[in-house]
Amino acid sequence: MSATNHRWRKFKNVLMQAVALACALLVVAPLGLVFYHLIKSGIGSVNWAFFTQLPKPVGESGGGMANAIAGTFILLGLAALIGVPVGVLGGVYLSEYGSSRLNWWIRFAADVLNGVPSIIWGIVVYALVVVPMKGFSAWAGGIVLGMMMIPLIMRTSEEVLQLVPNGYREASLALGIPRWRTIVQIVLRTAMKGIVTGVLLALARVAGETAPLLFTAFGNRFWNHSLSDPIAALPLQIFNYAISPYDDWHRQAWAGALVLLLLITAVNVGVRVLTRDRFQKPA
Amino acid sequence: MKTKSLLIPLVALSACFLGPDLADRASAQMLINGAGATFPYPIYSKWFDEYVKVDSSVRFNYQSIGSGGGQKQILAETVDFGASDGPMSDANLAKAPRRLLHIPTVAGADVLTYNLPGNPQLKVDGPTIVDIFMGKITKWNDPRLAQQNPGVKLPDDDIIVVHRSDGSGTTFIWVDYLSSVSKEWESKVGRGTSVNWPAGLGGKGNEGVAGQVKQLPGAVGYVELAYAVQNKLPCAHVKNSAGNYVAPTLDSITEALATAKIPEDFRFSMVNPPGDKAYPIAGCTWLLVYQEQKDAAKGKKLVEFLNWAIEKGESMAESLNYAPLPASVRQRVLERIKTIKY
Repeated sequence: MSATNHRWRKFKNVLMQAVALACALLVVAPLGLVFYHLIKSGIGSVNWAFFTQLPKPVGESGGGMANAIAGTFILLGLAALIGVPVGVLGGVYLSEYGSSRLNWWIRFAADVLNGVPSIIWGIVVYALVVVPMKGFSAWAGGIVLGMMMIPLIMRTSEEVLQLVPNGYREASLALGIPRWRTIVQIVLRTAMKGIVTGVLLALARVAGETAPLLFTAFGNRFWNHSLSDPIAALPLQIFNYAISPYDDWHRQAWAGALVLLLLITAVNVGVRVLTRDRFQKPA
Repeated sequence: MKTKSLLIPLVALSACFLGPDLADRASAQMLINGAGATFPYPIYSKWFDEYVKVDSSVRFNYQSIGSGGGQKQILAETVDFGASDGPMSDANLAKAPRRLLHIPTVAGADVLTYNLPGNPQLKVDGPTIVDIFMGKITKWNDPRLAQQNPGVKLPDDDIIVVHRSDGSGTTFIWVDYLSSVSKEWESKVGRGTSVNWPAGLGGKGNEGVAGQVKQLPGAVGYVELAYAVQNKLPCAHVKNSAGNYVAPTLDSITEALATAKIPEDFRFSMVNPPGDKAYPIAGCTWLLVYQEQKDAAKGKKLVEFLNWAIEKGESMAESLNYAPLPASVRQRVLERIKTIKY
C-alpha cells in the first residue's frame, strides 16, 4: 500500500517536472526561432555596404542603411538626454522625498503611462511638437522616445534607490553632511549600477519602436543635417521596406531587423554583465 | 614605428568609411519633405535619387504614409508637398489655408488576380466583377463567367473574395470603377479609400491581398499592376467601354490616360475611358503643392524639381511598371507648374 503510494508520488513528481521543463523551453523557443529566422534571411544582406551606404532606389542593387543606423543612435541619444534626468530625479523624489499618499498617485500614473500604447505617444508628440513646429524632426522623435523612457526609468530607479540600506543615509546625516549631498554622493552612487541597468533596459525597449516615430521622426532617405529635419531610424526603414513589393528591399529589411535585434541583444548582455557584478559584491 | 604601421590602415579604413558620406554631407544644404501615397513610392524614390545628380544642393525626402496621411499632412503644413492616389475632395480642399494644386505624375492600374488550378487567362466584364464583389456570383463555373471564357475549364468551387482591409488608393480606383459600371454598387457601397464591403475577407496592403489569394484556392482579389508584375500574379483581361477585353499593360494604361477627360484642376477619374485599347481600371497619382510657396528658396527648388520630373523623370516610369503621362497632358501640367509663386 505505502509502496504504491510512494511510486505514485514519484511519478507525479517526474511528470510535473517534465511539464515545467517543457514550459520553460516554450518560453525560450520563440527567441531561438526569431534568431534562427533572422539570421537565415538577413545574414546574406549584412555586408560592409549595409553599414556605410545610403539606401539605393528600386532596381539598383546594393546600398545600405547607414543613415538609419546613425539615426537610431542619434534618436536614442536625444531620448536619453530627456528621459534619463527626468526619470532618475523622479525616482529620487519617490524614494527620498515625497509623502506616501502623493507617491501612490505618482506610481499609479507612471504605471498607467508604461501601459500606454506607443502609437498614442506618437500622436501626442505629433500634436504638441510637430504641428506647432510645422514639420517633422529628429527632436520630435527624440522627445517621444524620451517621454516613453521617463516612467520606465523612474520606476526602476526608485526600486534600486530603496535597496540602499537606510543606515548609509543615517550615517551620512549623522556626520553633518547635508541631505542633498547624501543623496548625490552616497545614495545615488551606491545605486548607480542599478540605475544604469534601468536606463539601458529602457533604451533597449524604445530602440525597436516604430509606431511613435512614424509621425515624429518621420524617416529620411538621406543623411540628417539638422535636428529640426526629419531623421531615419532602423525600425522605420524596416517597416517601409517590408511592405514594399520588391525582393531586394525585403532582403534589406531582414538585414535591418537582424542588426536591430543584435543591437538590442548587445544592450541586454551588457545589462547582465553589469548586474552580475552587482550581486557578487556584498552591498 | 609600430604605432605608425597601425595608424595607416586605420586612417585608410576610416577614410573609406567616412569619405563618400562626408562629401555627401558637406554638399547637401536643403531638405524638402513630402509624404503620402504608397503606390508611387518606388518611382518617387528613384526620381529623388536621380535628382541629386541634377541639383546636389537639395534633397527630397519622401515618406509613404498613405494617401490619406499625405492629404492631412499637407493641410497641416507639416510637409512641403503631399501625395495622393485619389484626388482630394472639395470638403478637404476647402480646409486648405491656401490654394492647393494637384500635379499628376504617373498612372497605374488595378488588376483582378485569382487562384485557380493552372491559373488560366480569364476574361471578365465590369458587371461580372461587381457581382463577384457583391457576393452574388459565388461559384467559379457560374454561367456568366463560363460564357466569357469559352475553352477555359472553370471548377465548381466557391469564389473567395479578398479585398483591402486598410484605407488605400488602390481601393479608391477599384471601387471608383465598380461604381462607374454599376448604379447598385454606387448607391449601396460607393466610393472611398475604404468602404463597407458586402462580401469577402480583408488583407492588409497589396502583399496581404496577394498572400491570401495565393494561399486560398478559388480566391480572387485586386492588387496594383506593379505589384502583380513583380510577383508574377495572374491578371484577368477586363472588358472596356468599347467592348474589347484588354490586358493591363503600360500601353493600355497610357491609352486610358490619353482618352480620359481631364478637367482644368487635374482632379479626374480615369476609370472606364472611351479608348478602344484602354484598360478600364486605371488611376492617376498626384503631388499636392501649394500655389503660393511660403519659403521662397524651397519653393524655387520644388518648382525646378517638378519641371524636371515631368520633362525627364517621366521616361523612368515604364521600367518601374508605371504609365507615364501622355505628351499632351504633360504640356498642360507644365503650364500649371508655371503658376506656382514663390
